[in-house]
Amino acid sequence: MLIDHTHRKWLVASAVALTIATAVYIPYALRAPQGPRGGSALGLTYGIAGFLFMLFAGLLGLRKKFPVWRVGRAQSWMRGHLWLGLLSFPLILFHGGFHFGGPLTRLSMWMFVFVWISGILGAALQHFMPRFQTAQLPMETIYEQIDRVRGQLAEEASQLVDETCSALEGEVSHASERQRAMSASAGTQGGLTVASGLQANEQVSTQLRQFLDAEMRPYLQRPGSHAMTLGQGAQAQKLFQQFRVLLPPELHSNLDDLENICEEKRQLDKQSRLHKILHGWLLVHIPLSYALLLLGAVHAVVALKF
Amino acid sequence: MLRRTRTTKKLAKRIDLQYFARPHSFRRWRFWLSVAIPLIALTWFLAQRAQGGQKVYSSGGLSQSHAVFTQQCALCHVAQAGAFSSRVTDKACLACHDAPLHHANQTFTPECATCHVEHKGAMPLKATADAACTQCHADLRTRDGQPHYVASITSFEKKHPDFATLRSGQADPGTVRLNHYVHLQPNLIGPNNRRVQMTCDDCHRPAAVATSPYGTAEMHPITTTNANLSRPRDQAHMPLPEFGKHCASCHTLQFDKRFGNEQVPHDKPEVVHAFLLKRFGDYIATHPDAVREVNPPDRQIPERVRTTRIARNAAEWVQFRADDAEWLLYAKTCKQCHTVKPSGGSLPEVAKSNLTLQWLPDAEFDHHAHRMMSCTACHTRTPESRETTDILLPGIQTCQQCHRSQGPAKEAAEGRCFECHQYHDWTKAKPTKGNFTIQQLRGNAKRPVPEGE
Repeated sequence: MLIDHTHRKWLVASAVALTIATAVYIPYALRAPQGPRGGSALGLTYGIAGFLFMLFAGLLGLRKKFPVWRVGRAQSWMRGHLWLGLLSFPLILFHGGFHFGGPLTRLSMWMFVFVWISGILGAALQHFMPRFQTAQLPMETIYEQIDRVRGQLAEEASQLVDETCSALEGEVSHASERQRAMSASAGTQGGLTVASGLQANEQVSTQLRQFLDAEMRPYLQRPGSHAMTLGQGAQAQKLFQQFRVLLPPELHSNLDDLENICEEKRQLDKQSRLHKILHGWLLVHIPLSYALLLLGAVHAVVALKF
Repeated sequence: MLRRTRTTKKLAKRIDLQYFARPHSFRRWRFWLSVAIPLIALTWFLAQRAQGGQKVYSSGGLSQSHAVFTQQCALCHVAQAGAFSSRVTDKACLACHDAPLHHANQTFTPECATCHVEHKGAMPLKATADAACTQCHADLRTRDGQPHYVASITSFEKKHPDFATLRSGQADPGTVRLNHYVHLQPNLIGPNNRRVQMTCDDCHRPAAVATSPYGTAEMHPITTTNANLSRPRDQAHMPLPEFGKHCASCHTLQFDKRFGNEQVPHDKPEVVHAFLLKRFGDYIATHPDAVREVNPPDRQIPERVRTTRIARNAAEWVQFRADDAEWLLYAKTCKQCHTVKPSGGSLPEVAKSNLTLQWLPDAEFDHHAHRMMSCTACHTRTPESRETTDILLPGIQTCQQCHRSQGPAKEAAEGRCFECHQYHDWTKAKPTKGNFTIQQLRGNAKRPVPEGE
């Protein structure tokens, strides 16, 4: 989520609330006979406010499950989640007087620390990374579709290699219109002798097929595979440059397409890595949030009793 | 030249439009973790609950004295009939402790737990925060509207007045003439004419410490005011010097050369008189010829040479010798330290020594805790003090050199109020009667395993 000017009201409201909470807390902490305590009237106020904010933040998951509910815009819920969740942590610290207490509260507080920090990290990632991804990965696709697209790329590469090899082996029927046109114009161009596009060259064809089978298809089919030659842009470029020397110019466009397919695969791999970073924090944030709410509720009931 | 193009139409064809309906590893992980982690937390909580009872709810460890009851929350958190809350009330504390009132004219009495906060770990419960005291003493108000103490004290460093004894400029009310300067001079004549260098602890030493290095005299017991100390501690408080323990080995009370080094009791004149009559009576009974012995004048006091009277019978002899001995004692021996006045009767009146046991009437000072220091480090004026009226109590500035409210946290000695002051007036303490059994106090707590088992 982009934290832009639309968050200004939330930012101001949260800053004001935090300032008031702090201004009330400092004299309270200094004057309380035995220091600030969760059980005092003010301590309880901080605790109730903090827990309500946590609950609201936790309800975002429910709101997302039922998008058709008419309970406010999802964006507003998200902003509320972000700012109230942020505010809840200092309020809970004020509630406990910056002490983590006994076993139950200590565990809850450490969970809260992880939830809060992962939330801030997540908000920062969600703010910066999408723009970075857009700039760096023009060929990105839907994350869940990457496996499927990878298969399509492998298929596309096979077709291109087939087409190229057919042309190299003299099977004009398999050559493209453009290749046939290029073949017709073979001869001298600009004082230089150029090769005919449809010259039969079975040796190169074999090499190209071997390259597809040994390097390209495995690379395209496997997720990740950064260690492979094609996984590194500069080395892939050198490899394709060698084929360019071997192939007649009218078939270079096929090589360009193959190289482009590898580039797309590299971008998909990078997208996959970035996606894990962009959303991986949720694997900490969400489960710990649920556990925190559960233990927080237990603490609230027990604290009222004792 | 690149032939591949990425048109929207081409890209759209790539996508499986039902992808969101199919499970994906990331969403699957998120779901299962969201189920598993709260479940683990819940399991942990239930396991803690099963093992340690309500201990898991505890907001912190119990104080040193209550740690033994850790498993028995209900001892303090007494459930009220019909109420959900089980918060600690004074009644729970008073089941075991007496808590005498602070002052009769205080405007309010805080609950026990206001000052003695539990669940703060293994610390003494008496270590209350200064704020517990300054909630009243920062702006002291009393029922009668006339505070007897300084009305605004906020901490040991801020606004704490000097000790009352020093503030008022009063003199030591004691009547025993004692010159500290003389007693601390080198080469004083000690017992058996030995030359000695006295030190402070020859006379001033805690009760539990061995007696004077110069020996103690076999004296008749005398009444001291040490018993008035409200909460005696073996080595904490400095008891008053006692004649028998600290003075008698040098300041002897011989009364007649016939009895060698035998001394009169260090007691009231009536007791001394009875003692003398008995001793001389016993003597004349065994030495009847002594009536006819003529003694030369006693010249021990040159300015008042006393003519020896001649007795006609044993009764007169006892009377005259007792008179002579008392004259010697009251004109010289006793008078060296005591104020001896004629009473109008046959025996003089010896002024009460009126020694002050506790110079800080509203505070306690532990000499034992300060044993690493020399006496004169604090009592700086003592070596030069020549007058009985000198009060040699150090001022508050001396204490403030080490003691700070922040205490050990600021590399200083404890300086919070409780270090010297008591809230409860323990002189009014009543005994409490315990009703709990070991099982009730310990619950299901495991028996501590002795070392080596």
